[in-house]
Amino acid sequence: MVAAAMLAAALAFGQAAQVPDAAQFVGPPQGRPLAGEELKERTQYIGGLLRCPVCQGLSVSDSPAEMAVNMKKQVGELLARGYTEEQILQYFEHSYGQFVLLKPKFQGVNALVWLLPVIVLVLGAAVVFMKMRKLAQPSVAAAPAPPAPAEDPYVARVREMVGGGK
Amino acid sequence: MNRTVLAVGALIALAVIGILFLGLGKNPNQIESPLLGRVAPSFALREVGTGKTIGLEQFRGKPVVLNFWATWCGPCYEEHPVLVANARNLGSSVQFVGVVFQDTEEKIQRFLNDRGSSYPTVIDEAGKTAIAYGIGGVPETFFLDSTGKIVGKHDGPLTTDDLRANLAKAMGQ
Repeated sequence: MVAAAMLAAALAFGQAAQVPDAAQFVGPPQGRPLAGEELKERTQYIGGLLRCPVCQGLSVSDSPAEMAVNMKKQVGELLARGYTEEQILQYFEHSYGQFVLLKPKFQGVNALVWLLPVIVLVLGAAVVFMKMRKLAQPSVAAAPAPPAPAEDPYVARVREMVGGGK
Repeated sequence: MNRTVLAVGALIALAVIGILFLGLGKNPNQIESPLLGRVAPSFALREVGTGKTIGLEQFRGKPVVLNFWATWCGPCYEEHPVLVANARNLGSSVQFVGVVFQDTEEKIQRFLNDRGSSYPTVIDEAGKTAIAYGIGGVPETFFLDSTGKIVGKHDGPLTTDDLRANLAKAMGQ
């Protein structure tokens, strides 16, 4: 509403062009304005969390594409105005959706990205544990004793000659 | 034991196949805009040629076709005649607006002189309007209803059929 009124006033007085403002989507800044080295570092960091929409798997900080450069510049401007990391990510997510976040949020189908490796690891460990326990246990039913071998007739004959059959 | 392992393995495989099936059914280049159903971000940009400031708000009350393009974009050459012809045919019942970004005024003016124009074209100098609309590649076209709400989006060059289908939504038909 405020943004619309500002734009109407700008048009009425023939002022300079106005672009959509972050305040339209995420409200006023909730942090402190950054400057100097801190601003540069935070811009680089937050740019690293955003996907360049015209590249293949590159972050905004890593891409030389003009779109990425513009996005990084806007991150810097928002930080300088006092917007927080959360607000800035929310601003870009408002336009591009979760696609723009290089680290997906833990919600919906995206939660599987975090949960599946843990589930597979736990299941794998359970299988290994059960298998090892089975191998360590003695067999429950003892194997039947092998049948006594029938006495060799030659041995029986020798036995008879030396001791009378006992 | 072997049956349990087999069942768990089959379950995991089925889950992975299901996720792949859902994902592969979509065009990776077409990401549904989160702006659909929301009021279009406001802007007031300089018109190419006249230097006048044109604001989106001034078109409230009628459907708007908002086309993001650039002179360096090949498919934009393809769709330009479609936009120009339909804007002429539809007259004042629908407002067409071209938004050019990552470009120079001189090149845009030359493009419009060579290929004709029937609606205002504004220049998004810092690319911030394109970012607010979540533009990934041009051309991309948004369809706004008379209240300024985004009711449709088309990625890639428009055909008259695409345009009509989306305009029907914008006109509430």
